Amino acid sequence: MSSVSPPIIRKAAVLGAGVMGAQIAAHLVNCGVPVVLFDLPAKEGDPDGIVRKALAGLAKLEPAPFASKDLAAHVEVANYASGLAKLADCDLVIEAISERLDWKRDLYAKVAPHLAPHAILATNTSGLSIASLSEAVPAALRPRFCGVHFFNPPRYMHLVEIVAGPQSEPALLDGLEAFLATALGKGVIRAKDTPNFIANRVGVFSIVATMLHTERLGLPYEVVDALTGPAIGRPKSASFRTADIVGLDTMAHVIGTMRDTLPGDPWHARFAVPKVVAALVSKGALGQKAGAGFYRRQGRAIEVLDPAAGAYRPSTGEVAPELAEILKERAIGPKLAKLRASPHPQAQFLWSIFRDVFHYAAFHLASIADNARDVDLAIRWGFGWQQGPFETWQAAGWNEVAGWIAEDIAAGKALAGVPLPEWVGGERVRSAGGVHTPKGSYAPAPDAFRGRSTLPVYERQLRPDPVLTERPDAGTTVFENDALRMWHLGDDVAIVSFKTKKHTVSEEVLDGLQRACDEAERSFAGLVIWQPAEPFSLGADLSGIAPAAAAKQWAGIEAVVKKFQDTSMRLRSCLVPTVAAVRGMALGGSCEFVLHADRTVAAMESYIGLVEAGVGLLPGGAGCKELALRAHLESRRGAAGSQIDMLPVLRAYFQQVATAAVSKSAPEAKALGYLRPCDVVVPNTHEVLHVAKAQARAMAEAGYRPPLPARDIAVAGRTGIATLQMLLVNMRDGGFVSAYDCEIGLAIARVMCGGDVDAGSLVDERWLLDVERAEFMQLLRNEKTQARIAHTLATGKPLRN
Amino acid sequence: MTRQLQDAWIVAATRTPVGKAPRGALRTVRPDSMLAHVLRRVTAAVPSVPKEAIEDAIVGCAMPEYEQGMNVARIGVLLAGLPVGTAGMTINRFCSSGLNAVSIAADRIRTGEADVMLAAGTESMSMIPMLGRLAMNAEVFARDENLGIAYGMGLTAERVALQWKVSREDQDAFAAESHRRALAAQEGGEFAAETSPFDVVEHVPDLATGKVAERKKRVDRDEGPRADTTLEGLAKLRPVFAAKGSVTAGNSSQTSDGAGAVMLVSDRALKAYGLTPLARFAGFAVAGVAPEIMGVGPIAAIPKVLRSTGVKQDDLAWIELNEAFAAQSLAVIRELGLDPAKVNPLGGAIALGHPLGATGAIRTATLVHGLHRRGGKYGMITMCVGTGMGAAGVFEAV
Repeated sequence: MSSVSPPIIRKAAVLGAGVMGAQIAAHLVNCGVPVVLFDLPAKEGDPDGIVRKALAGLAKLEPAPFASKDLAAHVEVANYASGLAKLADCDLVIEAISERLDWKRDLYAKVAPHLAPHAILATNTSGLSIASLSEAVPAALRPRFCGVHFFNPPRYMHLVEIVAGPQSEPALLDGLEAFLATALGKGVIRAKDTPNFIANRVGVFSIVATMLHTERLGLPYEVVDALTGPAIGRPKSASFRTADIVGLDTMAHVIGTMRDTLPGDPWHARFAVPKVVAALVSKGALGQKAGAGFYRRQGRAIEVLDPAAGAYRPSTGEVAPELAEILKERAIGPKLAKLRASPHPQAQFLWSIFRDVFHYAAFHLASIADNARDVDLAIRWGFGWQQGPFETWQAAGWNEVAGWIAEDIAAGKALAGVPLPEWVGGERVRSAGGVHTPKGSYAPAPDAFRGRSTLPVYERQLRPDPVLTERPDAGTTVFENDALRMWHLGDDVAIVSFKTKKHTVSEEVLDGLQRACDEAERSFAGLVIWQPAEPFSLGADLSGIAPAAAAKQWAGIEAVVKKFQDTSMRLRSCLVPTVAAVRGMALGGSCEFVLHADRTVAAMESYIGLVEAGVGLLPGGAGCKELALRAHLESRRGAAGSQIDMLPVLRAYFQQVATAAVSKSAPEAKALGYLRPCDVVVPNTHEVLHVAKAQARAMAEAGYRPPLPARDIAVAGRTGIATLQMLLVNMRDGGFVSAYDCEIGLAIARVMCGGDVDAGSLVDERWLLDVERAEFMQLLRNEKTQARIAHTLATGKPLRN
Repeated sequence: MTRQLQDAWIVAATRTPVGKAPRGALRTVRPDSMLAHVLRRVTAAVPSVPKEAIEDAIVGCAMPEYEQGMNVARIGVLLAGLPVGTAGMTINRFCSSGLNAVSIAADRIRTGEADVMLAAGTESMSMIPMLGRLAMNAEVFARDENLGIAYGMGLTAERVALQWKVSREDQDAFAAESHRRALAAQEGGEFAAETSPFDVVEHVPDLATGKVAERKKRVDRDEGPRADTTLEGLAKLRPVFAAKGSVTAGNSSQTSDGAGAVMLVSDRALKAYGLTPLARFAGFAVAGVAPEIMGVGPIAAIPKVLRSTGVKQDDLAWIELNEAFAAQSLAVIRELGLDPAKVNPLGGAIALGHPLGATGAIRTATLVHGLHRRGGKYGMITMCVGTGMGAAGVFEAV
């Protein structure tokens, strides 16, 4: 038993149905936590009208806050006037109302008498001090009060900052951390109680620095966005596009908060809302929500603001060729050196924003965070950067870059004149070559490298998100080739991981998986398919098929298709349990593995689907067979006499395959039937491997035997094909799909209905696999399919021919 | 002229209000209950006719399965409290089922086999939507000329719009006019005589109390007509059945729930029970057309029924042309040169709704009461029928 048991949280409440509160409530039900969502009573009509309206608004929000549409019904609605009694059985109460100390104080006073004695009260404030809010909480409640700071959108942003109040009970915070990590799937960082905490403190500073240097160097906004997006490992929306999405009024508010709350910050003079932002806000050009901000859409074209002219112009600015050349440099050290050395304004801009963020993060590290890892992970998880500032700095050469920064400070080029803190050049960090070491990351207070949290919850993360220099336990290799590796972590559950690009399935992967099944039967209790990074797999490797099809090597291709089917079937017939551990996309052929593994453990954010129709093919790795079998099994329960009405079930599967539907979450994959009720959804992507291994072991402990091969499978036959054909013909003759789309759909229908046999005929899996393979080959022989494959390989986009 | 022994007289006709499907006021009402209701009301309208004299009830239903399966006609008769001696038969010719019920009932009288007949139609599209439990025959796709069997009704309307050159603007204008006429008719109380209000009793789980709440409401008018219908609004709707088509939800008939019933009697019964007829059933005709342009069925059926009844088109005072789609309605009107003023004077299915197999019986009630009220000698009910047919019946007011 661990010393800290997680709090028992049967039910939660969220106070405040604004953008954040409503989305946090949505994420709680995504994760199976019943939730009551509160707001003010409506002045007219339904007293819960405000909350209902907020929930209705969530349905329209992109990206979707709910992991599946039916989850909205699980959010209970309430208002502060008549619903406070509903707080009595809530174990966790998250307050997410407007950032007004007086309003929050009033609310705490109002809800406190209704809270259960053990309930945790947490505030989602992003700006106010937890200490001052704690004072607004009745004294008895203070040990159970803290900050939990979610990032927008809360379902998708991994970061949650926990901020202790002066009297917060440490064990309670540890328990809350475990809940946030496992139950809600979040990456938890402990932040100190300083304004904006960690991620926003550094992240918003970065935005301010970007805007200041943009203005100083007179760079067009679209050029800055081209420079500060994926080119430097940051999100596609980069800087000004992000500001438009966030809302310029919000942006102005956040910068205003820094100005108001950080009077002693050496950069304080820089915390003025940029003139251009103020001007846009005053004109009502608040960004995306107002249809105009730094950018605006004119018909199909995107226009960008020209601040000098005060008008929009076509967005045509580009990264200068010499900059593009520098950015091609793979090593960050030489890249930063070249940027700094180049007189080009775009180069000076990039170096300046790196330098000032490094400077700022280093200066404030000791006051805002325990250690450098917390800053880097907070920025990565909260702002979507691939590397945190310290990681980039260290990767570029810690000591050299520190020298450059110091020189720039001395030369008055940096945004503040304060020197770098002592520890940057101190013995410990200097000799380690930076703040991150395999043993831990630098913590200024003890002047030591701090290892990872030892809370029991992190034992579930066999492969946590690593920071620079951290090397995960490579485990022990069972066998390895160019395509995949079978390995283990010193126990009896083997893991197989693909080494191909995007984990596509090549013939070598198929051979390797079959061999892994053999090895697992001999030496292990179970086999888990898991990839060290997303995606799970983009499916079959088409680049091998295309030339073979062009050369008309049909027999050879059919042998590979057969091998694909055999591999899926082998995952099922393997004498030890097989588990697919999915995170991210599991498309096409890899979805067929998911369908055949004895169990799938899927991260909440899993995007699963059979997408073969997009390239003019059908699922030929036993996927169509499996869906026909599932339609039979699912409809058998409702069978009347000898009649099985499987068409409604079959039709749903058929439409998904024919339209290449992909789930937008793991719960949605269950709704689509690609995941079964027994499959497990895991909120935290870093816990998937742990859970998959546990599932394999549990099945093994239960005396696992593979299922008997399916026999007497009733198929929909000729009537089923004709019924699905009716749908296709109406789509084709209505001009919604091409004639060839219709042919592809018909091929899928023929497989899923068991071929041209009488409705209700009884077949076995071998029969279905043979029909599937024959129809697959027929499609592949068609020039239009070959053209689709070639087009997709060349452009990454589907061809509609 | 058909050979017949005697005339068949309509002495009573009524219908439920038509509800929207699948979310309208009648969505929870069973089709057999709606049928029983109109059978009760239509017999109650002529109290001098002994119930024991009623020979049979012919009931049209377009998707006679599940809730409206099990020979819904006989079940409706028994639920209505009619004597066990009164029989019941369900018939199906999709959208003309209700009209066919009237024609079959009339023929039993005209051949002298029966003196008192009921004809009705019932359809809950809330419970059994179009197509029902669909399972196609593979033979349909064996020959290209049969492909039209597989066509959805909307797609056939698109084909008609193309072939008869009916523009999107004309379809939308026709739809707007249908709503305008229906609203005016409602306003003028024109449907009052033909309508038997329905008292809906819903049995709703009250999750808060754990009790079953009985929710009662009286439905007394058609739900379909929309006062907010505008040409601009209709123009914004996207085509549903073809990517570049012109047929929208706004210029198509509405899916609906409803039932209608008519009592027909012989000359003899007329005298014996001292009845005043509303109308004489003059005749019926049906004709086939290509399934993929099923909407033009009335173009084939109308001349046939006019020939067999000897009624001239110009003598028709009132034409109930079922507005399956504005596209096919306009094609029929233009091709035959029907007088638009006489076609659907109280609005049509685009506004009033179209509970498939019930429509023929419902519009019979509209027509015979309408002719009676407004005057006029001959009236016609006509409709297109899925898989390529047209049906038309002629009535003479007395």
